[in-house]
Amino acid sequence: MTSDLLDQELTELQVWMSALLRRRTSLRKDPLTTREAVARIGRNPRLSPVEQVEIYREQFWLRHSGSLLEDFPGLSGILGQEDWDRLIEGYLEAVVPTSYTLRDLGRELPAFIESCGWLPHQALCRDMARLEWAYTDLFDAPDCGELDANKLAGIPPEAWSQAQLVMNPALKLLQVEYPVAALRRRLREAADDESVPIPEAQLEQLVLYRGSDRGLYYRSVSRGAFALLSAANAGFSVVAAAEQAMNEVPDEPIFASLGAWFREWGTLRWIIDVTI
Amino acid sequence: MPFKESMGVPDLGVGVGLRVPHYREILERQPKVDFFEVISENFMGAGGKPRYHLERILESYPVILHGVSLSIGGPAEPDRAYLDQLRELVRKVKPAWVSDHFCWCGASGAHLHDLLPLPYTEASIRRVARRAAMLQDFLEVPFALENTSSYLTYTASGLTEWQFVSEVVERANIGLMFDVNNVYVSAFNHGFDALEFVRNVPHERIVQIHLAGHTQLENYIIDTHRGQVIDEVLDLYRETIRLSGPVSTLIEWDDEIPTLDILLAEAERARSVRTQGLALRAGSDLSIPAHTPTRPHLEVQSGPWRQGGPRESAGQDL
Repeated sequence: MTSDLLDQELTELQVWMSALLRRRTSLRKDPLTTREAVARIGRNPRLSPVEQVEIYREQFWLRHSGSLLEDFPGLSGILGQEDWDRLIEGYLEAVVPTSYTLRDLGRELPAFIESCGWLPHQALCRDMARLEWAYTDLFDAPDCGELDANKLAGIPPEAWSQAQLVMNPALKLLQVEYPVAALRRRLREAADDESVPIPEAQLEQLVLYRGSDRGLYYRSVSRGAFALLSAANAGFSVVAAAEQAMNEVPDEPIFASLGAWFREWGTLRWIIDVTI
Repeated sequence: MPFKESMGVPDLGVGVGLRVPHYREILERQPKVDFFEVISENFMGAGGKPRYHLERILESYPVILHGVSLSIGGPAEPDRAYLDQLRELVRKVKPAWVSDHFCWCGASGAHLHDLLPLPYTEASIRRVARRAAMLQDFLEVPFALENTSSYLTYTASGLTEWQFVSEVVERANIGLMFDVNNVYVSAFNHGFDALEFVRNVPHERIVQIHLAGHTQLENYIIDTHRGQVIDEVLDLYRETIRLSGPVSTLIEWDDEIPTLDILLAEAERARSVRTQGLALRAGSDLSIPAHTPTRPHLEVQSGPWRQGGPRESAGQDL
């Protein structure tokens, strides 16, 4: 037998086992799997072949659902145990984990929730999942420097028409239909036997960011500020971003607010540089 | 020239796995620890708190990188982006060596985040040895693979685990990360003699030893890294040191993580056994107590196990 054939057999064994470990239900009651396991898994005086594989299958589910529970405490808090378990079982069946790190496991959860019409408070759940995935992304986003006040002061007035804001890579803009950031905080602070009311829908523009202490924070901003930040984040110049914000939110005094906004955003390290 | 000598692998003493609940206390107290080991994947490409904490630890301690996701025995070749990130981390941390496991982590594109056992066959040896040799060249640092705990065996295996492990490290010319607790766990689960395993690996290639607790269930043992190292494992460790000489040793404690003081006391317990092993190697065991230090009995149940304990994450923040 050539080494290529041996290598192919090894791969086939791994493909077979990998598929089994993602199965939601116990392998013990599946006659076909039991027969295949006898052919491929060694004998053991205490455990049958299929029981040996079953140890790994159970751990796949425990490990992955546990990781998602750590990353989505707000979402699990809204749903309660039964609905959370149903959601996560469906998610792990539908979405194959492919990243080397469990940190990435929840990336598709907000989109998956869109397909779960059975979920109570589906729109609230979707917003919470988007928020919590954004926090996961921000938590270990690249580090960056701070805005250089001297550089800022040295920019000639006429150059500002071409100036572009450089945003902190550890910042995300999120528009939500429910006040999920505040709800998440309440859920996390609530005692075990305390019930937290489901909030009414309320459109909110959130800036999520990592502070200089590397902690995660959120701020609710006006629609105009959100529009300007979104345009600047998309690469528009300061002037173009402000014009876009005025078009989107004509009832807000965008230009009059610019000075105060930029000072605050620099202090909060939302803006880390200005390029001409 | 022996592997460790030719690669300049040092004896770092006795260290502990760096775990999230201890970060603050370690940075504030700066306790005496010979070295720390971190899970590579928790710091690859990361900024924020993970990178900050790693950099502060590096200011005061040697750090070793230990991976859990390489999947060196999987169907697919190691992912290039993963390897690039690992190499970047290696260049930053400058570890004396880097390690991962004799295992595979998934197939058909899936990554199952587990250390799945390989069949002990010629095909596995060729696949793992080729990739391990390549990886050591790529990382430009000594590379070692660790024997895993396992809960199944394959009918295809024609070799013992120690024959498999020995053949790979010799062919690839890499180091052996020898987990003595894993030897004990697999010996119980599969009914082989743990001492035979300990005595039949290439001792001159052991760059580091892992010690940990485990969870005994009715029919099998799970390598949970929970609780103290049991006396039987320390006996195997003493014999390993007698055969291999002074080797860097690390306590892993990933579940129900204790206070830092308890963890460091466990490291000192290992140090005393290491001293016994070295005395036996030197042929002067007269003043060394034959028994291992006592430990409390811990009643534990099985839950999900995860190498390295919980990662630092946004879920703990806010």
